[in-house]
Amino acid sequence: MHPTSEALITLKNVSRIFPGAAGPFSALSDVNLTIDRGEFAVVVGQSGSGKSTLLGLLSGIDRPSTGEVVVGGTAVHTLSEREMSPWRGKAVGIVFQFFQLLPTLTAAENVMLPMDFCDTWKSGERRSRALALLERLGVADQADKFPPKLSGGQQQRVAIARALANAPALLLADEPTGNLDSKTSEAILVLFQDLVRDGQTVVMVTHEQSARHLASRTITLCDGRVVAND
Amino acid sequence: MIRPRVRKVLRDVWHHKARTLLVVLAIAIGIVGAGAVLNTWSLLRRVTREGYLATNPASATIRTDSIDAALLERVRRLPGIRDVQARRTVYGRAMVGGTWRTAVLFAADDFAGTTIGALQPVSGAWPPADGSLVVETSSVEYAAAVVGEPILVQVGEAEPQSLEVTGITRDAGLAPGWMEHVVYGFVTPATLARLGAPASLDLLQLTVEDRTLEWEAVRRIAYDAKALVERSGRRVQNVDVPEPGEHIHAAQLNSLLFTQGAFGVLALLLSGFLVINLVTAMLAGQVREIGVMKAIGARGGQLAAMYLGLALVLGLVACLIALPAAAVLGRWYAGFTATLLNFDTTGYSIPGWALAVQLGVGALLPVAAAAVPVVRGARIPVSMALRDFGIEEGGDGPRILRRIGGVTRPLLLSIRNAFRRRQRMGLTLLTLATGGAVYLGALNLRSSIRNSVGYMFGEVLRYDLSVGFARSYSAARIEAAIGAVPGVAAVEAWNGVRAAAARADGVLGNSFPLGGIPAASRMVAFPVDSGRWLTSADSNALVVNRSLRQGEPEAALGAELTLVIDGKPSRWTVVGIVTSGPGATAFATREVVARATGDSLMDRAMIQAEIAEPGAQAELSRRLRGALEAQGFEVGSSQLMAESRRVLEDHLLLVAGFLMIMSQAMIVVGGLGLASTMSLSVLERTREIGVLRAIGARHGAILTMVQAEGLVISIASWALAIPLSIPMSVILGRTFGRIMMPVRITTLVPESSGMLAWLGVVVLVSLVACAWPAYRATRVTTAAALAYE
Repeated sequence: MHPTSEALITLKNVSRIFPGAAGPFSALSDVNLTIDRGEFAVVVGQSGSGKSTLLGLLSGIDRPSTGEVVVGGTAVHTLSEREMSPWRGKAVGIVFQFFQLLPTLTAAENVMLPMDFCDTWKSGERRSRALALLERLGVADQADKFPPKLSGGQQQRVAIARALANAPALLLADEPTGNLDSKTSEAILVLFQDLVRDGQTVVMVTHEQSARHLASRTITLCDGRVVAND
Repeated sequence: MIRPRVRKVLRDVWHHKARTLLVVLAIAIGIVGAGAVLNTWSLLRRVTREGYLATNPASATIRTDSIDAALLERVRRLPGIRDVQARRTVYGRAMVGGTWRTAVLFAADDFAGTTIGALQPVSGAWPPADGSLVVETSSVEYAAAVVGEPILVQVGEAEPQSLEVTGITRDAGLAPGWMEHVVYGFVTPATLARLGAPASLDLLQLTVEDRTLEWEAVRRIAYDAKALVERSGRRVQNVDVPEPGEHIHAAQLNSLLFTQGAFGVLALLLSGFLVINLVTAMLAGQVREIGVMKAIGARGGQLAAMYLGLALVLGLVACLIALPAAAVLGRWYAGFTATLLNFDTTGYSIPGWALAVQLGVGALLPVAAAAVPVVRGARIPVSMALRDFGIEEGGDGPRILRRIGGVTRPLLLSIRNAFRRRQRMGLTLLTLATGGAVYLGALNLRSSIRNSVGYMFGEVLRYDLSVGFARSYSAARIEAAIGAVPGVAAVEAWNGVRAAAARADGVLGNSFPLGGIPAASRMVAFPVDSGRWLTSADSNALVVNRSLRQGEPEAALGAELTLVIDGKPSRWTVVGIVTSGPGATAFATREVVARATGDSLMDRAMIQAEIAEPGAQAELSRRLRGALEAQGFEVGSSQLMAESRRVLEDHLLLVAGFLMIMSQAMIVVGGLGLASTMSLSVLERTREIGVLRAIGARHGAILTMVQAEGLVISIASWALAIPLSIPMSVILGRTFGRIMMPVRITTLVPESSGMLAWLGVVVLVSLVACAWPAYRATRVTTAAALAYE
C-alpha cells in the first residue's frame, strides 16, 4: 500500500527545551513536519540531534515546550496525563531499542497487556488475537515462553506484536535494531516494510543505513533541526 | 481467565518471594503487637464487666453482730433493696509447708443458694461439706492446696483441725490471695463451730433494685439498712459501698492496657513505616516497567489499582498469620492480667468487633502505607520512567560527612551512602531506636522495680517477719518473749483496728486498717509526701497514706477528721501523708490507737532477724512460734517478708517482661526495615556497584561496604536509643507506679551492661538483615551492572 495524501502527523513550530545545569538545552527547534498515513519514515541523525525527543513528542511520552503536535487528528500536546495513556494505548504502538517486554509475562501475555489496559477486544478474543499477531511476526511457537528465554530477535518481534495489539494508526520504533545483530536487524527491517505494505504508518529512529532504502521518507535531524526531509 | 496485569502482579510477588515475605511479616508483626493488646483489652473488658456483673456483686456490705433470718427479711423489705444475704468471715491460720499462714474463712448457711457475689466453682466439689474446705482459686498456690489432701486450720486458741480440701472455687470480688498473702477458704457454719469459731453470720450483703444508681444513691440505701440494723440493737462496725458496676481494679486495668495499647499502636506504626519502605523498594524495581506499561496504554489509576490491590492481598495474607497469633497472645496476656484481678477468662471469647478491627487494619494498613509510593510511582512521567537507570539522584548526605577524615574511602562511601536517602534512613533509624528505647526503658523499669521492692522491703518495711496473735497481750510481754529468742535482733509490738471516716453528710466512708505503731518505730520508715510522721507527743494525730487520701476527701493534710472505730466516733487530725502501698491505710501511735479502742493490748509483732538469709529466717520463724506457744501465746499467723518479697517481685517483673517482649517485636520490625532499606540501596546502586567493580573492588570490599552501611544505621539507632530511653523510663516508671506499685525511678541512664547488650543486638540484627542485600551486591557483575537498564 502506498502513502495517502492524508496527513497522519503534523508538527507545527515544535520546540523542546530541557533545563540543564549549564543552562537550557534545546533538543528540538522550530520543527515543522507532516507525515501521511501509510508512510514508512525513518529519522536519522547524530547522537543528540533530537531523534528520540521527536519520537517522544509523537507518542505523547514527552510534551513540546512550544508548538503543536497533531497525530490522527488529536492535538496530542493538549491532552492531560489522564487522557494521554488511553489515547497512546489505542493510537500509537511503540517499539523500544531494548524491547522492554515485561519479564514476568509470557510472550502472548505481553501482547495481550495493551488490550487489557485499553479494554479493546473482548476478553475471550484477546489471546487468539495475540497468537495471530505472533504468528504474523513468526514467533507463534514462542507464545508461552517468558522473555528471558527468547533471543533478542524473538523478543523484538514479540515487542512489535505488542505494539500492534490495539491496531494503532501509528507505529513508532526507537532504534529497534540497535540491540540486534545485523542479520536479525535486516529481518526486523523487512518486517517493518511488510507492515507498511499492509497499510501501517511507521516512524522509525535508526542508525541503520539500509533502513533508508526501505523507507519512503528519510528525515534528517541535526542539532534539533530538520535539515533534510526527502 | 486471569487478566495479564493481574498475572503480572502475582508473578512479581512470586519472583520477589523474599521481599514479599518481608512485607507480609512486617504487617503481621505490627498486627500481632497491636492486636494482642486490643484482644487483651477487649477480652478483659468483657470478662471484668460481664463476669463481674454476672456474679451479682454486692452493692454494699454491712459488718455487724449475728445476723438472723428475721433481720435479713426486714432489710430485704426496705425500699430500693433487691436482695440480701449473710456471711461470716473468720480470721485464722493455715499450715503451709510447716509455716502458719493467715487464713480468711468465709461461711454461709447456703453457699449453693448464694445469689450475691456468686461464686464460680473451678474444680472439685461445691459447695463445701461439713468438715471440709473449699479454697479460693487465687490462694491455691499460696496455700499449696491440692484437692483431696488435708490442710491444718486453726482459729484462735482452739485445737487445729485437719480439713480436707474438697474443691477450688473463685470469688471475683476478692483481691487475689497470692497478692494479699492470705489463704481464702469457704466452709460451712458447722465447720466453723468445729474450729471453735462463732458460727453466726456477721456480714450483711445487699444489692439495690436499680443497678444504674450512682454511688451516692447506693450509699443512702445502704445507710437506711445500717439504721435498721442498729435499730435492731446490733452494733454496725462498718459499711462498705464500692463504686457501682466497677470492679475494684477497673481503673488500674484501663491504665495498664492504655499504656500497653500505646506500645501496640507504636508497633503498628513502625510496621507501617516498614511497609512504606518495602513498597517503595518494590516500586523502585518497577519504575521502568511502570513506564513501559504507561507507554502501551496503562492509566495511572489502573497501575495504582494493581499495586494497591497487591498491598490489600498481602495485608489479608498477613492477617491470616497475625490474627490467630494475636488471639493466642492476647488470650495469654488477658489470662495473666485476669489472674492479677482474680478473674478467669475461661469461657469468654475475644469480641468479634476486636477481630474485625484487626482484620480491617491489617488489610488497610499496607494499602494506606503503599498509597503514597504507589500514587507517586503511578504518576511518574513515562519519559522519566523509561530513562530510569537505577541510579538514585539522592544527595550526598549532611555537609559534615564531607569533612570526615581518617577513614578508608570504602568506609567513607558507606557512611555517605547511609545518609543519601535521609527520609528512608530516618524511618529505619526511628524504628530501631524506638525498639532500643523500649528495651532499655524496660530494663530500667525492671531495675527500678527490683530497687523499689528492695527499698520497700529494706528501707520502708524494715522487719523480716511478722507474727499475728489470736489474742491480745501487753506490748512489754510480747517484746520480752520475742526478744529473748536467739536470732531476733529487734522486736516491736503493734496493734490495729479497722476505722471509717465519717463524712460531712454524716455517712461513713469505706473502712480501712488503722495501724498502731511505736512513734519511734524502727520497723517502718514510710516516705512522707507531706506533713510529718508520728511523734510520741501526739494525742490524736493521724498519718494517712496516699491511697486513703485519694479515696477519702475528708482526709486532707491538717484536716480534722471523725473516725468511727468499733461504732464509736473519735476526732483526729491528719498530720502527714505517706506512701505505703496501693491499699488505703492510716497510722497512729499504738498508744493513741489503744486509747481510741479502749484496749491497751497489742495483737501483732514485727521482728528483725540477725541473719538476712531467708532459710535462716524461716528457721527463726519456727523457733519463734515454738517459744511463744511454750509461753502461752496464741499465735494466729506468721509471715516471712522474704517470701512476700519474692511473690510480689515475681508478679511485678512479669509486666516488665511483657514490655521487653514488645521491644523484641520492635527490633524484628526494625531488622526487617533495615533489610528492606539495604536491599533498596543495593538495587538503586546497581550501576554504581558495577562501576566500583570495574575499578577494582573485590567481593569482600562490596560485601564490607554494604554491611558497613547497615552498621552505620544500626549504631546510629543505638546511640539515639540511649537518650530516648530516659523519657521512656520516666513514662514507664510513672505509669507502673500509678497502676501496680509506686516505683522509685532509680535508674534513668541505662546500665552499661544493658547498653552493651542492646548494641550487640543491633549489630547482630544489622549483620543478619544486611547479609542478603550484601550477597546480592556481590552477585552484580560489572557487565550487567553497566548495561543495567
